[in-house]
Amino acid sequence: MTHALAIDTTSDYLSLGVLRAGRIAANHYALCGTAIARTILPRIEELLAGAELEPAHLDVLIVNRGPGSFTGTRIGMSVALTLGRVLGKPVVGVDALSVLAAQADPAYTDPFYTILNCVRDEAYTARFHRRRGRIEPLSGIRLTTLAEAAAQAGRAPCLVRRFDPLPPAPADTDGLAPVPLRYGQPDALCMMEVGLPLYLDNAHGPFRTPTPLYLKSEAFRTWRPAGGAAS
Amino acid sequence: MSRSPGSAAGAVCLAIDTTFDDTSVALLRGRREVLANLTLAQIAEHAEFGGIVPERASRKHLEAIYPLLDRALADARIGWEGVDYVAVSNLPGLLGSILVGMTVAKTVAWTLRRPLIGINHIEAHPYANFLVHGELPFPLMHLVAAGGHTLLIHQRDHFDWTIVGRSVDDAAGECVDKVAKMFGHPFPGGPVVDRMALEHAPGPYDFPRPMLHDGLDFSFSGLKTAMLYFLREREGQPIEAGPAVSAFFEAVMDVLVTKTLRAARRYGVKAITVSGGLAASRKLQGRFGEKAQEAGIPLYVPPPPLCTDNAAMVACLAAYRHEAGRHDGWDLEGFANLPA
Repeated sequence: MTHALAIDTTSDYLSLGVLRAGRIAANHYALCGTAIARTILPRIEELLAGAELEPAHLDVLIVNRGPGSFTGTRIGMSVALTLGRVLGKPVVGVDALSVLAAQADPAYTDPFYTILNCVRDEAYTARFHRRRGRIEPLSGIRLTTLAEAAAQAGRAPCLVRRFDPLPPAPADTDGLAPVPLRYGQPDALCMMEVGLPLYLDNAHGPFRTPTPLYLKSEAFRTWRPAGGAAS
Repeated sequence: MSRSPGSAAGAVCLAIDTTFDDTSVALLRGRREVLANLTLAQIAEHAEFGGIVPERASRKHLEAIYPLLDRALADARIGWEGVDYVAVSNLPGLLGSILVGMTVAKTVAWTLRRPLIGINHIEAHPYANFLVHGELPFPLMHLVAAGGHTLLIHQRDHFDWTIVGRSVDDAAGECVDKVAKMFGHPFPGGPVVDRMALEHAPGPYDFPRPMLHDGLDFSFSGLKTAMLYFLREREGQPIEAGPAVSAFFEAVMDVLVTKTLRAARRYGVKAITVSGGLAASRKLQGRFGEKAQEAGIPLYVPPPPLCTDNAAMVACLAAYRHEAGRHDGWDLEGFANLPA
């Protein structure tokens, strides 16, 4: 049975989860802000100790590769990739929109949109449905504006996440239809739901080393506020 | 993953430095046996922007660090278990870049259950001299002329030092880079300015020596501006670039050498060291050599690859810290600036 550690530092929340022998043993989801780099290892230590696991016992690392905060994403990726490297264990990357989509009620099978509003009016959006119990993407992830993402969703059900420091939601998202939820937050339970099958379906590898999903060039020259796709 | 770590004196240090645009990894046994020292420069990655783009630097560090770690371990012929402690530069520099190296270093140390040591990158620069020249006599006066800093450091003993002079505006290296850019040369400008200064006499040109007779602090922005006006006044006229750049570098050297020797005399040190990227200048090394000899003060300068950013100097300082039992916790933080 699988021992796994899930790490998500793509937002201001430090989200960690420990799976012991295939069962959730710890789930930590707390607002952490800029303290993530200082806090992450002591928290992982506490969670593993609580689950009576050593790092060497882990079979797989699951990491949220974004999109989200660039610096935050790199912290989680650095921890996961280094743990994988030193322990000789695979690292499975999941994307932030899939993790968001995994909040949806398992009984809900209609297509729905996810909208992730990270900064200002920029939003990442993707369409999903649940098939045979698993979250599956129906589109790639697009970088657009919050207003355009809301307009695209129209009357379709939507799961919206807005990062905390942002001002109150604009009217653009007021009329969006909600998706019935199983989980109230995109925490490590969601990460495990998305990431674990990627490991179990391919337990003998080989695994492709995940890379951060920035979806925006470092010079930001391809970002077009009118709603063009990111590079 | 527990193993008795090697004795402090012969322990193997894994050191990481990602403070600016170079990704550096080193493995050092004891204080001076370099098992691996690898640096991947990002200069070409930033060329199109005419300077370092912090976000791009952070991204490239994450891409580069794992292949470098693999290669360093292979060069040293050891596995992860052969690492006895881990050191990382946690200040000063680009915070986003520091966070990559620091998180990797902390995670390696935590996973292996090994001690962690956070290193001040500026304090580490002079240790390039301890690395190649052995134990140096305290007290020492260090001139650290690295990219963003020009500092005079009075060191009384290991871990006991004071900054006694610093640039009040641009660092000398920044000034050299900007002047090189005025003459159409790409970043970094140090190597081309050094070559021009070696190949040409200053000729009829002369540039100001800012704050030359005034204390131990430096100022280089006025010198940069002087070159800007010099070029503006001669717009449309043929300029002998070699002599002009050589005259400019004479002014830089004059200020650096004069202030360092003044500090050495004022604090009664037993030797001077010069380190940092600008210390790789053969012209500057030659000038320091002449003037230190005239003053009767021993001078130590590292070979050029150890002048620029490298993790071996970080490992060398960390070796002294490790022997002294000065370790850090998993909550080690990164800082963009030197402490006030």
